[in-house]
Amino acid sequence: MNIAFAGNPNVGKTAIINNIAGSNLKVGNWPGVTVEKKEATLILNGKQITLTDLPGVYSLSSYTIEERITRDFILDSEVDCIINVLDSTNLERNLYLTLLLMELEKPMIIALNMYDEFKKLGYKIDLEGFKNILGINIVPTSAIKKEGLDELIKQALNLKGRHSKLKYRLRYEGFIEDEIKNVVEKLKKENLQSKYPLRWIAIKLIEKDEYIIEKLRFETKKDLSTLAKDNIMRIEERFDEDSESVLTEIRYGIINGILKKVLKKPQKIASTITEKLDSIFINRVLGIPVFMFFMYFVFKFTFDGSAPFIDWIDGFINGYLAKYLSIALSNIVPGWLNSLLIDGVLGGVGVVLSFVPLMVFLYFFLALLEESGYMARAAFVMDKVMNSLGLNGKAFIPMILGFGCNVPAIYATRALENESDRKLVAVMVPFMSCGARLPIYALFTATFFLHHQALIVLSLYVIGIVIAFIVGLVLRKTSMFKAEKTPLLLELPPYRIPSLRILWISSWTRTKSFISKAGTVIALTMILIWGAIHLPINSTYETSFLARSAKVVTPLFKPAGFNNWQIVAAIIPGLIAKETVVGALAQTLNIEEESNQNNSSNFIQDTTKQLSELIDAFFNSFKAMFFNISQETFKLESISNKFKKRISQVMTPLSAYSFMVFMLLFIPCIVTLAAIKQEFGWKLMFFEIWLLIFISYIASVIVYQMGSLLYNFI
Amino acid sequence: MLFSQLKTGDKAKVIKLTGGKEFRKRVSEMGLVKGAVFRIKTIAPLGDPIEIEIKGYKLSIRKSEATNILVEKINYK
Repeated sequence: MNIAFAGNPNVGKTAIINNIAGSNLKVGNWPGVTVEKKEATLILNGKQITLTDLPGVYSLSSYTIEERITRDFILDSEVDCIINVLDSTNLERNLYLTLLLMELEKPMIIALNMYDEFKKLGYKIDLEGFKNILGINIVPTSAIKKEGLDELIKQALNLKGRHSKLKYRLRYEGFIEDEIKNVVEKLKKENLQSKYPLRWIAIKLIEKDEYIIEKLRFETKKDLSTLAKDNIMRIEERFDEDSESVLTEIRYGIINGILKKVLKKPQKIASTITEKLDSIFINRVLGIPVFMFFMYFVFKFTFDGSAPFIDWIDGFINGYLAKYLSIALSNIVPGWLNSLLIDGVLGGVGVVLSFVPLMVFLYFFLALLEESGYMARAAFVMDKVMNSLGLNGKAFIPMILGFGCNVPAIYATRALENESDRKLVAVMVPFMSCGARLPIYALFTATFFLHHQALIVLSLYVIGIVIAFIVGLVLRKTSMFKAEKTPLLLELPPYRIPSLRILWISSWTRTKSFISKAGTVIALTMILIWGAIHLPINSTYETSFLARSAKVVTPLFKPAGFNNWQIVAAIIPGLIAKETVVGALAQTLNIEEESNQNNSSNFIQDTTKQLSELIDAFFNSFKAMFFNISQETFKLESISNKFKKRISQVMTPLSAYSFMVFMLLFIPCIVTLAAIKQEFGWKLMFFEIWLLIFISYIASVIVYQMGSLLYNFI
Repeated sequence: MLFSQLKTGDKAKVIKLTGGKEFRKRVSEMGLVKGAVFRIKTIAPLGDPIEIEIKGYKLSIRKSEATNILVEKINYK
């Protein structure tokens, strides 16, 4: 049995489905688009039930992807019951979608959600009367308090027996209803064979819905575009407005009529918490500082909070597990296979897993912003800034997160509504200089610009931002990233305290999907990179495939100022993670870094150490989030003198700056690419790769050539 | 009168929607239908967009988009 949940955004639909499905929930994408699809299959009362969470929509027109998905899913797949979730504190607008859903003539029940809040605010509703007018069962629910959910499912399961045509009693205003009936008669005369309800088709014809007319042309091989022409003319003449608007008005008129009969509003709604909070959060003076403040905390909590866990996982896998597995394997397999398994496979798994804490933290705070209602305010406050790119204010959030790490920033684009907006922001994110690029800056600034380190690093951040905006402006003009013409009509929902359980489920299900989807791409690429560095068998860094191919392409980089193969060869390992470039340079330049690896192996001692370090990680995470004001993410590491000396032998300050610009703009890392692939598919990922290669090369050449010119000039 | 002539706190009624078909559809589906009464709640810190209250909820609309809404101010005490 298939149950689909439909409703406006912010009505607690996801909370209901989360509470019913729990850990059975799976997150994916709707086929071919980047709209998130949540689904759960579970056994209830011995029956297998599939729950589908349809995208939150206000209407079922053909203008947005979300609306088309919702409507087509209900029409074209075998939905046995629609559960229409309403925010009972905002019935007037919520019922608009209900009327549209009823037009589809599918079995349906209504969840009157947030019913506890509704009663507390002093509303009164005549439930029996309401049911009778609509001809639909209504179940009051409270997703947060888990009230009414069992009843809701029970009602949905009961509906299956009475599957065939339900007669909804609701009819439209006389004149319009007659015109609808007239079109239905005409359709009958046409002998139209369609799986869709005739009355619905008639309404869509009157609304001149071109998408539906096309769909029907495909299904029935009939052109219905002119069938309702005279009906439309009569309606438009009588109401002096186009027929679509007339139908919208009439639906709102019906809603008004119903609510007058069944709903009793409280005498006076006292100034709510939402009003009070908004007087600060979107205040003309305080709005932007408050936004910055929240961004600081999301940034800090996400990156500093997850860092101790990332370090622990890194140490556990690459230190502890790698050590003992390597010892265990050393007698069984040859050295190269040992290296492949440990450095390639286990290293790849390590990369994926080390992102898990970050993803959990990111999704948690994103969900917190979204569910609490602040996300819409962020969009409202920052709208004008992003408007120049045709984006709304929410686009600011992925950009800011990008400074910490590009990977969560790519996933944070989910906060945006339109597919083309999401794509555009995803393409711009890699230009935000992430934390992993800092060790590279640290190395070169410490070597060449010791007294202006901060200034040089700042200049790189600015270059990234400027290029991101230029790229955004240019791409907006292309068809792939064209802005949708839909106006920005953003609901500012009431503030609500989200339940921890919901936040946890939503962040964990999304993280799981990251592990399985992005994980495979990452692990495979890691093995490829391992091959480049370690093959042919028994090769050294100088004779590896990587070094050989680096030597071939090095002349290409001459215009950019770094024409040593050692420097070029360090770029590719940087694909694993940018900070790896520093280690790779140390290897290609033959610098022996003092290793502080403890070679004594006591299994029990090491195991207890791992455990105690895990406990420390919890404390450190808590401490970093709440007691430490400074930002750990932006700390520059110190560099040994030997390393500096060797670097200064092969590079000049100018070529070093050019290299830093190159590393800033080049492909950030395979995990970011895997994230783009997971969210947007191969096409956008390859587009991003070419774009980044092109821009990083051009930019570093420009920096070097301009710099040389200036130098000669002076 | 034009939407842009309204000030914070003003209450007004929608008289007519102009502009493209898609715009009219979207705006009216969000409740800004002919005859609907709304109130200007506040303006964003950077001067755009505008927050209005309509049909018991809060909606943000950009100034450039609001110019397509013809309104009539309601005087109330």
